[in-house]
Amino acid sequence: MSARNVATIAAKDLRITITKRSARLSLVIFPLVIAIGPPLLARFTGAGHQGVPAVLLPRVLDAFTFYFVIIAALLPTAIASYSLVGEKIERSLEPLLATPVTDGEVLAGKGLAAFLPPIAAVWAASVLFMALCDELTRGELGRLYFPNATAMLIVGLVAPLAAVFGVEYSVLISSRLSDVRPVHQLATLSVLPFAGVYVAAQIGAVTLDRPTLAVIAGALAVLDVLLFAAARATFRREEILIRWT
Amino acid sequence: MAVAPDAEKTAGNGQRAPMAITVAGLTKNYGEIEAVRGIDFEVPTGETFGFLGPNGAGKSTTIKILCTLARPTSGTARVAGHDVTTERDRVRRNIGLVFQDTTLDNYLTGAQNLRFHAELYGVPAAAVAPRMQQVMEMVGLWDRRDAPARTFSKGMRQRLAIARALIHDPPVLFLDEPTANLDPEGARTVRDFLLELRRERRTILLSTHLLDEADRICDRVGVLHTRLLAAGPPSELRAGRPGHVTRVQLAELTDAVVTAARAVAAGPVEVTSGATSSATGGPAGGTVAVPVGDPGRDNPALVAAIVAAGGRIRFVTEATTSLEEAYLTLLGGAGSTEPRVTQLEGTQLEGTKPGGPQ
Repeated sequence: MSARNVATIAAKDLRITITKRSARLSLVIFPLVIAIGPPLLARFTGAGHQGVPAVLLPRVLDAFTFYFVIIAALLPTAIASYSLVGEKIERSLEPLLATPVTDGEVLAGKGLAAFLPPIAAVWAASVLFMALCDELTRGELGRLYFPNATAMLIVGLVAPLAAVFGVEYSVLISSRLSDVRPVHQLATLSVLPFAGVYVAAQIGAVTLDRPTLAVIAGALAVLDVLLFAAARATFRREEILIRWT
Repeated sequence: MAVAPDAEKTAGNGQRAPMAITVAGLTKNYGEIEAVRGIDFEVPTGETFGFLGPNGAGKSTTIKILCTLARPTSGTARVAGHDVTTERDRVRRNIGLVFQDTTLDNYLTGAQNLRFHAELYGVPAAAVAPRMQQVMEMVGLWDRRDAPARTFSKGMRQRLAIARALIHDPPVLFLDEPTANLDPEGARTVRDFLLELRRERRTILLSTHLLDEADRICDRVGVLHTRLLAAGPPSELRAGRPGHVTRVQLAELTDAVVTAARAVAAGPVEVTSGATSSATGGPAGGTVAVPVGDPGRDNPALVAAIVAAGGRIRFVTEATTSLEEAYLTLLGGAGSTEPRVTQLEGTQLEGTKPGGPQ
């Protein structure tokens, strides 16, 4: 696999993403809401706007941090859906597939372009989130809660792996369908496993501690490798370009 | 029988011209649909070859196979000496491709579109800028290089697509109906570029359903209708029409002259009346187009018969057959779904190979 070809394809797709206003907005608004909303909720919720009691705050803040895993899986789906199906519709995919690049290079380049902006947005938003949480809860807790190892594990490892999962899942769907909207709708289902983990944590079925997060990260890493192999195996140039129904 | 990778053909000057494209027994099915059936043809290096055929004739499918965008169901094809099935990357490095529809990245500028492809084709970094300027100046878009492609007219986009196809200086260029969606002015500009490329002796395979375009641009044309019905220079294709027609222009068209012409004709005589002379107010002239079996034998008799009938001859010419007439004859008439197969000189028809049994 040529790193130069991957970088060229990724740079081109990144340029297009940056050019599109809707893509820029989705990359800003969603993470911003998650960065600002939950800290305010933690500080001002409850009767008399007393906020979450100190004894519950660590668990609540860890749960809020896990939101970044969910949006990390969600944000790349729009970009990844467009990068294959959108380009197929606009007919700009054909000349790319006629160039001497391998299927793996096309997938890796497009995947990288769909991964980088969302993960940058997630990381930037998480910094804002942690700063806000610290500012709003240090009186209650008597200390700064963030940064901590659990949050670093969630934002630094699980969220990127979730983003890769979202990208690869979207690419897998994109190579089988011919319309951006249903592809994007199906791709958003990639958040379900992470939403499931969040709900399980809320009902006490799992604890989002470091061992559990390590297991989740390990499982995601394996899943990401398998999904890339599956995407590569199902990415057939001829089927993408010519569909006879 | 596979065609040798270094297949060569004796050119008119006796030199052995290497084949840029060699196709043997190529078939492509999409499920139950037969898109291309057992076609054979060769395109020598430096030739402009035109694919003629109605919509759905298999032109685009054949080009897609030759450009490695589709795999053949059976048969072999080599482009620039490389097999399109087993050496796809090598084929891709040696070809440029222009599609019928706009296939640019509309969010990128003209220069960004070209640079992207130059990098993917491995054009050395130092060579990208000068090459980009060269091809963009050639298509007249250098001044618009920093404008987004979405702001270009259709004609400009197609010119940019041609520039993109040439950015890595490929020896073989494929154009799939490049003027189909353009207005007359845009189409003419693109044709002028194609003529310029032809003068460079670059190998070009042009797919079109515009007969005039093929006639003007191509050294040889092939008529495709799932099968390859005929291939040869446009002049040979025209000559492939059965029989000869002699056109006699007369100062005065009379019944006696027409009767005399019919007496010599080998088939139905086409009579065209001219306008009455406005200067003299004299009788209307006209033309008779007379099919003749053997021009050397029949033309003197035809002229003698017309003169004997009182006809005053202005000109005697050989009626030229347009490529359109030849094309429609091959397809068995406009709208026909059952084309007539015609063997032309230098043409292999379905199931035959160069030098093989006919």
